[in-house]
Amino acid sequence: MNEAPLFKPKFKIGKPLFGILVFILYVFLLAPLLVVVVTSFSSNQYLSFPPQGFTLKWYEVLPDESIFVNGMQVSLIVAVSVTLITLAIGVPAALALERFEFKGKGAVLSLFLSPLLVPSIVLALGLVLILSPLRLTNTYEGIIIGHVAITFPFVVRTTMMSLATTDTSCEAAARILGAGPWTVFRRITLPIIQPGVIAGGVIAFIVSFDEAVISLFVAQSGLPTLPVQVLRYVENSADAAVAALSVILILISLVVVVIVERVMGLRKAL
Amino acid sequence: MNQSKLSIVDLTKRYAPGLDPAVDKLSMEVEEGHLVALLGPSGCGKTTTLRMVAGLMDPTAGSIIVDGRDITQTPVNKRGMGMVFQSYALFPHMDVAQNVAFGLQMRRVPPAEQSRRVAAALDMVKLGHLAKRKVRELSGGQQQRIALARALVVEPTLLLLDEPLSNLDAKLRETMRSEIRSIQQRTRATTLFVTHDQDEALDMADRIAVMNGGLIEQYDSPSVIYERPNTRFVADFIGQANFLTASVVADNGPTASGGATAGGASERNYTVDVDGLGRYGATGHPGFVGSTRELVVRPHRLRVSLEARGGEAGIAGTIVGVSYTGDTVGFSVRVGERTLQAQFMTSSAAVPRPGDSAYLSWNPSDAYLLPGNPEVAAA
Repeated sequence: MNEAPLFKPKFKIGKPLFGILVFILYVFLLAPLLVVVVTSFSSNQYLSFPPQGFTLKWYEVLPDESIFVNGMQVSLIVAVSVTLITLAIGVPAALALERFEFKGKGAVLSLFLSPLLVPSIVLALGLVLILSPLRLTNTYEGIIIGHVAITFPFVVRTTMMSLATTDTSCEAAARILGAGPWTVFRRITLPIIQPGVIAGGVIAFIVSFDEAVISLFVAQSGLPTLPVQVLRYVENSADAAVAALSVILILISLVVVVIVERVMGLRKAL
Repeated sequence: MNQSKLSIVDLTKRYAPGLDPAVDKLSMEVEEGHLVALLGPSGCGKTTTLRMVAGLMDPTAGSIIVDGRDITQTPVNKRGMGMVFQSYALFPHMDVAQNVAFGLQMRRVPPAEQSRRVAAALDMVKLGHLAKRKVRELSGGQQQRIALARALVVEPTLLLLDEPLSNLDAKLRETMRSEIRSIQQRTRATTLFVTHDQDEALDMADRIAVMNGGLIEQYDSPSVIYERPNTRFVADFIGQANFLTASVVADNGPTASGGATAGGASERNYTVDVDGLGRYGATGHPGFVGSTRELVVRPHRLRVSLEARGGEAGIAGTIVGVSYTGDTVGFSVRVGERTLQAQFMTSSAAVPRPGDSAYLSWNPSDAYLLPGNPEVAAA
């Protein structure tokens, strides 16, 4: 017996037409990236499309552009710190929310997830107003505080999801076998929720590495991150070095994702 | 007197103030080396009791004493127990040997001894060849055995089993039943076993605590639970039962078997008047003359004859249903307002048909007056 499909489309558009639709969607999603990649190899004097010839000179000048090198350094330091700090506070927070009952749990959960709902420009403005009197603008601490605020919800969410789908009797079994709370967490809980934790960490890293608005408000003059430098560069000059840089950024994100996928399967993690 | 391995004293668990307690002043003693089943329907408090003994749940009141030591306040990881969960709860990120070794690592057993004891535990459950397997590569029955090995390898003070067979298919369940029982007897591990399956409890346990509504209705050996149920709930939950209302007319002296009651007095033979259907023999605790009580007779202890014989007429009724299952045949016999169930081993004799008349009777020792229930109003 054939099972009836759960969803029956009203119009049968046919296989070829469906293929075209999918192709268009991919073009729509990937076209900007493709244009950037192509532009980065084009010999046009200014940022423009279509290309007039092939060159590698935009990649060759990158190491000499000190603002890009500095920006990259700042962004990596920030992204790595943000990832570690967010994991260090996000995982325990998720554990508390998922495994323990306490008063005002719903309110705490909403509070933790609220940075996702606030426009980042509002968040950035608020941060500047708070960080200025504390003399934390234009410091690593300032940027990291801002980025932790926006990446925290992701880590809490992915970790809570992993926790919700695991059998708590594993933890109970370990306790009965003599493990104290910290041992249970380190030997049992953490390895079991590892996919969610790593997924949260990857998202935190990429979000922080990409972030422009908060970085721009908090540390534009003193400690510009790479996205801020790119923004400034495009304001002042119009050559394709910035396209070459963008390709490098895409590759960095891609490498992170591929490594995680290879090591433990990101699809499983997400 | 022999000291109990485990004493539970007035153990109470109330999940929220104002709610009926899930476990209500439960007290019981478990002897060293015994397997005791906590048996009852879901919500009767059996799992709550087990989790309190394990230390996974704090009791509202009462105490738990193991080897004469009060462990009520001892944290779960210091109680030295072994537990097998319904879901087995094997650690998915470890292989079989690592799972079994976990409790030994927690006890800081030297590595050489660890591997020796892990190997011995795996041999005990006949899965020594799977030591390096991942947990997810195992079948349900194998996981179940690994969970048992992991619980027993630490030589636990008590072995706690929480419905360990309920996730297995029927055939495997029977095999595991006898295997768990034989391992338990070999290791002499004092065991508390939670189940809702009466066959499991009757088959495996030295003693059964039948629980209902947070209370123990009866705590006895399987045969006493079956033959001499204390209450209607126990009689109904364990096996099948016919209930009749009987007015106790006369005391005919102690029973031939001299069965002793819980109070130490011997059981008496009585003549009872059953619902105005005639006078029959029954057995029960002393001092029942003049009272009206519930009488329980198991279906296969009812005698059914198709014609009234002189002397022993029996209760007249009509067969309204026959269920033939090969080994046994069951009759539903309508007597006045009620329907009684009777069951026999089949023979080559002709099976009666619905509509035939039948006459029911029983041996006095097979009809038991329930002592635990209050007297019922005379019919």
